[in-house]
Amino acid sequence: MKKLVSLFLALVMLLSVTSIALADEPFVITVMLPEFPSEVDFAAENNPVLDAIEAASGVRLNVIWGPNSTYGDLLNTTLADSKPPMLIAATDARNPLIINSARAGAFWDLTDYVKDAENYPHLAAGNAQIYNNISVDGRVYGIYRSRVFPRGGVYYRTDIAKQMGFDKEVTTLADLTELAEALAKYSDDTYALNMCSYTAGTISVITVAFGAPNNWGVDENGNIYPAHLSPAYLEGLNWLRHLYEIKGIDPNFAQISTSDWDNIERTGKAFMRFDCLDNAHRQQEWFEKNAGVTELIWQSVGPLAKEDGSITVWPQNAGFNGEILITKTVSEADLPKVVKFLDWCNSDEGATLLNCGVQDATYWLDADGYRITPSAEETEKTNATKMYLHDLNQLGMQVTGNPILPALKLTALRQRYEDLNAILAPYAVLDPCYPLVSETNVAFGTQLSQIISDAAVQYIAGQISEAELRAAWEDWAMQGGDMMTQEYNEAYHAAQN
Amino acid sequence: MSTRAEVKRMHGTGKKYWQKLGADLKRDKWLYLLLLPGVIYFIVFKYLPMFGIVIAFENYVPFSGVLGSEWVGTKWFNYFFRFPSWVTYLTNTLILSLMNIIFYFPAPIILALLLNEMRSLRYKKLLQTFLYVPHFISIVIVVSITFVMFGPSGIVYKSTEMLLGHPINYMGSPDTFRWMIIGQTVWKETGWGTIIFLAALTNVDTQLYEAAMVDGAGRLRRLWHITLPAIRSTIVLMLILRMGSVLDTGYDHLILMANPLNRKASQTLDVFVYQQGIQQGQFSYASAIGLMKSVVSVTLVVASNKVAHLLGEQGLY
Repeated sequence: MKKLVSLFLALVMLLSVTSIALADEPFVITVMLPEFPSEVDFAAENNPVLDAIEAASGVRLNVIWGPNSTYGDLLNTTLADSKPPMLIAATDARNPLIINSARAGAFWDLTDYVKDAENYPHLAAGNAQIYNNISVDGRVYGIYRSRVFPRGGVYYRTDIAKQMGFDKEVTTLADLTELAEALAKYSDDTYALNMCSYTAGTISVITVAFGAPNNWGVDENGNIYPAHLSPAYLEGLNWLRHLYEIKGIDPNFAQISTSDWDNIERTGKAFMRFDCLDNAHRQQEWFEKNAGVTELIWQSVGPLAKEDGSITVWPQNAGFNGEILITKTVSEADLPKVVKFLDWCNSDEGATLLNCGVQDATYWLDADGYRITPSAEETEKTNATKMYLHDLNQLGMQVTGNPILPALKLTALRQRYEDLNAILAPYAVLDPCYPLVSETNVAFGTQLSQIISDAAVQYIAGQISEAELRAAWEDWAMQGGDMMTQEYNEAYHAAQN
Repeated sequence: MSTRAEVKRMHGTGKKYWQKLGADLKRDKWLYLLLLPGVIYFIVFKYLPMFGIVIAFENYVPFSGVLGSEWVGTKWFNYFFRFPSWVTYLTNTLILSLMNIIFYFPAPIILALLLNEMRSLRYKKLLQTFLYVPHFISIVIVVSITFVMFGPSGIVYKSTEMLLGHPINYMGSPDTFRWMIIGQTVWKETGWGTIIFLAALTNVDTQLYEAAMVDGAGRLRRLWHITLPAIRSTIVLMLILRMGSVLDTGYDHLILMANPLNRKASQTLDVFVYQQGIQQGQFSYASAIGLMKSVVSVTLVVASNKVAHLLGEQGLY
């Protein structure tokens, strides 16, 4: 009997000890984020960055990484789980399952929190227009991830252009044509424009530059219409088709993987690209580090004037890229703590920790106090950055719009990038349908947009004529495109009133 | 052969049937115990998940659960037929399946017959091992190899360009797409497919061959009059099973091979289900299409089994 009692007492003591230990444990938040290189060995324990986040915010992060290439699939299957991670980075805020789940109550409604400037000052400092863009039925379910705007544009190899006798600043569409034709003549094995199987960006840059709307436009009567019905869309396609005909585009571009896109420029196979503008300085820096290039060989292009002098620019994003959602795995009692953590993430301190990590562990300062990221040769440093910081910046939202400190030293091209974004922003053409929901788009959107983009690719590659292109558009209308246009119109007019 | 009529004859009907069954269970309890894990496996992994089919009639949201989601009846079925695109998906599926039956289905039979004629047993065994290897190569690798060979810088692409004077875009045209798919399937699965036919061939009585040889029958005669009739029921069985998957094209293989230039041929029902279910997260819509496919498949199996019976074959059951 005595033995039994002592055993019981020992058990009680053990339990109380563990419960004290539990009380001392930090608040753990699980979060699912996309990762770009997926073979990284992220350190969950003894990680100076996670430790610093814990010390500053009282939250221990438990990160679940999903490879970016299949992140959408993973997200959908994760949402089907009964206990998904507490925070989820949704890279596509308009994914049907996200919308349906939000409507069913799978995420916490944050509408009141993002207006509460007293308790959540950083979240409340966000852009109300963008909060509206990601809202579902007028309710905000997530914190958007702010992105530099508009970012989309043209950049090219200046040295090759000079060799081919083109040496001036590109300011009009006519200049761009001249440049492309000059680059196309360089050699038989090289191409002017770098295109790959991801064509949406390239086509959008050129068609919007010609004046086409971004996915959906609003006509003079205030009605929504699809971008391909604008004459400028065809002008843009014709521009690409012409370049393809004069061998300025790789004939097999539709089969080139997106992961080869950068390499085509690095191996000198193509000299111009319509994509995110920050690639210009990325490529320049790559050539400086790996090819011993010293002078500026890459240049990003500013606003392109049409014949009538007007300017329109395709924004690669609408000022944000997806959102961070709080799932119902978080209890109602814990919700304020989690929102407080997201608020902290948007503070200057939080932004630095998530985007740069810890000084001398994942980033370093130069003599002038600028942040430097290690070059590829500094294996020890790059490994530390990968292991401790990895892609934690995917949790960074920066809704306040404050710059991330400590700042990077601006090279000439980086400075130009910053300037260009400011110059281009007023010309950006936004998609009026982004905040709207169309049932047909939810059910058939993927297939419908495929009809348009496939036809565009076939037209550029000279496989189909203009009549066949128009037939594909007709097909689109018949397969649900008309229905979608009608639904968007109804939603658009309803939102206007 | 145990058709329902025979079961009835053997066990009687109604009460008598259950009494007999009880007695049987008691007598052969150890054998039935051996059967139990298999039965449990089928109930847990094959029958219970079938209740999930109910989401095809709901607007299923995982958060609300199967029981809590909104009931929408046949909405998703109507959705699918609302626009003519379903015709494209169906024709693409059927063409690919038909080509598969015509060009792939006989391949393992022919190969099995060839292997069966091998004189050296050791060589035959070695050859078999080599023939099974492609089956174990992941389809991703097979597609990568195809890209390397048939892609714009591949040896096949270059040599056709040299021979014909103009290149054939093997990977980027709807006309070649289906042939590429069938070619890859034949390359990958023919060897593995021989197993079941070779097993059937071992059952052929060798005395028949000896007798035929004495009668002066050549190799082709023996093949035609002895070997083929011997494996005929196996071939019919495989064909009936194949009918059950006429609407299945798989999605991984097609998605890997698809690009904007050949999409006209690569959009099949399975690809559509994958796009809707996994990529778009429209679980209900995808389930509805999957359910329709299954109903058609079951009907086809039952029908072809009937046809087999009419033709005097044993069939599937």
